[in-house]
Amino acid sequence: MFNKNVMLRIFVLAVVLSLALSACGEAAVEAPVATEAPVVVATEAPAEEPVVRGKGSGLPCAPNCQYSDLVVGFLQTGSEGGWRAANTASFNETAEQLGLTLKFYDSQNDLAKQVAGFQQFNEDPDVNVIVLSALETTGWEQLIKDAYAAGKIVVIQDRRIDAPADLFETFIGADFVEEGRKAAREICELLKDSDSKNVWELVGNVGSSAAKDRGQGFREAMGECGLVVTKSQTANWSITEGKQVTEAWLKETTDVQAIFGQNDEMALGAIEALKEAGLTPGVDVVVLSVDATAGAFTAMLAGTLNVTVECNPLLAPQVYEAALMAANGEVLPEWVPSQEGVFRSTDANLQEIADGRKY
Amino acid sequence: MNKSSVSLFIDKFTSSRLFYPLLALALILVLDGIFIPDFFSIQVRNGDLYGRVIDIMRNASTVMVLALGMTLVIATGGIDLSVGAVMAIAASVAAIMMNPVIIGLELPPDLMKFMNDPNFTYSPLWEVILVTLLVAIICGAWNGALVAHMKIQPMVGTLILMIAGRGIAQLITNGVRIQIFYQPYAYIGQGWAVLPFSLYLAFILFGLIWLLVRKTSIGMFIESVGINPKASFYSGINEKNIKMLVYIICGLCAGIAGLIASSNIKTSDANNIGWAIELDAILAVVIGGTSMAGGRFSLLASMIGAMVIQAITTSMYAIGVPAFALQAIKGFVVVLVIFLYAEPVRAFFQKLTLRKAVKA
Repeated sequence: MFNKNVMLRIFVLAVVLSLALSACGEAAVEAPVATEAPVVVATEAPAEEPVVRGKGSGLPCAPNCQYSDLVVGFLQTGSEGGWRAANTASFNETAEQLGLTLKFYDSQNDLAKQVAGFQQFNEDPDVNVIVLSALETTGWEQLIKDAYAAGKIVVIQDRRIDAPADLFETFIGADFVEEGRKAAREICELLKDSDSKNVWELVGNVGSSAAKDRGQGFREAMGECGLVVTKSQTANWSITEGKQVTEAWLKETTDVQAIFGQNDEMALGAIEALKEAGLTPGVDVVVLSVDATAGAFTAMLAGTLNVTVECNPLLAPQVYEAALMAANGEVLPEWVPSQEGVFRSTDANLQEIADGRKY
Repeated sequence: MNKSSVSLFIDKFTSSRLFYPLLALALILVLDGIFIPDFFSIQVRNGDLYGRVIDIMRNASTVMVLALGMTLVIATGGIDLSVGAVMAIAASVAAIMMNPVIIGLELPPDLMKFMNDPNFTYSPLWEVILVTLLVAIICGAWNGALVAHMKIQPMVGTLILMIAGRGIAQLITNGVRIQIFYQPYAYIGQGWAVLPFSLYLAFILFGLIWLLVRKTSIGMFIESVGINPKASFYSGINEKNIKMLVYIICGLCAGIAGLIASSNIKTSDANNIGWAIELDAILAVVIGGTSMAGGRFSLLASMIGAMVIQAITTSMYAIGVPAFALQAIKGFVVVLVIFLYAEPVRAFFQKLTLRKAVKA
């Protein structure tokens, strides 16, 4: 029947949509857990493997490699938002400053394209460093081995992959757990004179590593000063939902001293809800967010947001530095956490910092 | 009142199109009243009403507006999947007109000017609204042209804009989330005059569309096209024009919804505004009792359907359902509501009311 048919199609569509939703989420989210390795198998497997090159084997120019010796092939995920745009811009600008050659490949959030791009870099004789911002967590081993077989080195940035750590040089990316811990400590500091320390938590997409780890880190550190998470709900990284969730809670009680938004957007939504409830965000209720995007700075300058913990997209300096060290044959740690700061509305030079921010 | 008129009233009410949506809404509200303390309490703040029920109505206003357009489209046997994307486009257009400076990645040097002066805008409000709605109408016309003239199946035709639209929205804002500081614009989604302004907007739109379809023969034409397009064609109804019209109205509604949504959060959030909302709008129409196969429709019932969906969402937040269980429980409640529309359940209710009527 036509009627049933239409309903069925809508249902299928809904399923497809929800899949798409889980695949999108926030910029800094690790690629959703892979169910299957990408079906791309390098067709021309290296026929003979005379020397097994791997982590720490360096480039021919070692130990005197300069930035100018590096030709970096950068496999970006795509361009899904402000965080990603800043990340890309960071790679372009830093490459220019350091005088290294950057070949940029936009995977357009399509795994097949990214794998093709990887193969393209593997076959490119000029490229000697491959930087990967992976769309999937699994399925990279053969490609990375091929890259080393072709005399290149590989650095992973932003999104962690599931592969033996000695396969590639290092992973450079955010420590979401530490971000959560920092958030808890900042709230502790802000509420140190307050008797009750009830915190409401706005959680990101359920299951994303950023949401899980930030929540976990927060809980690890909140005991230090007796914070209590009285309410916690997902608002899917979005302003609209952040506002709706907070709004619903505020109808029940206004006994809240702090709101912890796991990203800027949700905190901004909470701020709007607080204003409408007649409370002064930043004063009556302390508001803290993670990410430190432009929106957060605007809110801090207006005094409605107290603190934002940075999730730094400007990873290029660290990535290039690691690549240079690896090119010279140095063995790097498995994971180099990205350098991340904390910004407070009380910072004296906040306006200056905001003006200097790239994202 | 004599007996026969009472039974007549009950009879008329239960067979009304509004009965089941209202029953669904009532069920959810009664459960809320039992489980959530002070659910119905409404305070007066500065002359404005403030409370959970008001929240439900206000947050439902976006889906209400969408459901109006969607009802007409579904009544012609079509469907519009692109409304969420059109909302994002509308939000981006509006934001960029008020704040074109924040196109680049860097914060503008005159940022403080925006924040300190809530009356500062690059384009006047009427221009912003006019252009935004015009763009939304063009989006609707594009859908209409694909469906009516190119004879592409509605689900496929509107899927194109659903996918491309969000990209277009990001292109407009250069992938940046633009904050809106202009206070008069924020009134659309945040303003109150006893009741939330967006609610008035939804009902005014309802009134206008109701006049259009019920006080002219257009409504009849729409139903006729939905029931049998061929027969309508042979009886002299221009099927293409009717389809164009409903998709344009649907686009316009999506544009208005985009204005409400973006002003409510004072941001153009091309990634998230209206995300998956087309499904809510379709569900609202279904709960309102309009058949997906097209034909008879009720605008008011769809509006109530939108309120049912929002009531479910708000209740979940109020009850404090854990985040990981939210979607599943919401889905479960929706299924319960949809059961009300199953033939056996309806037959049971009819029997029940019939018996009562006889007793009376």
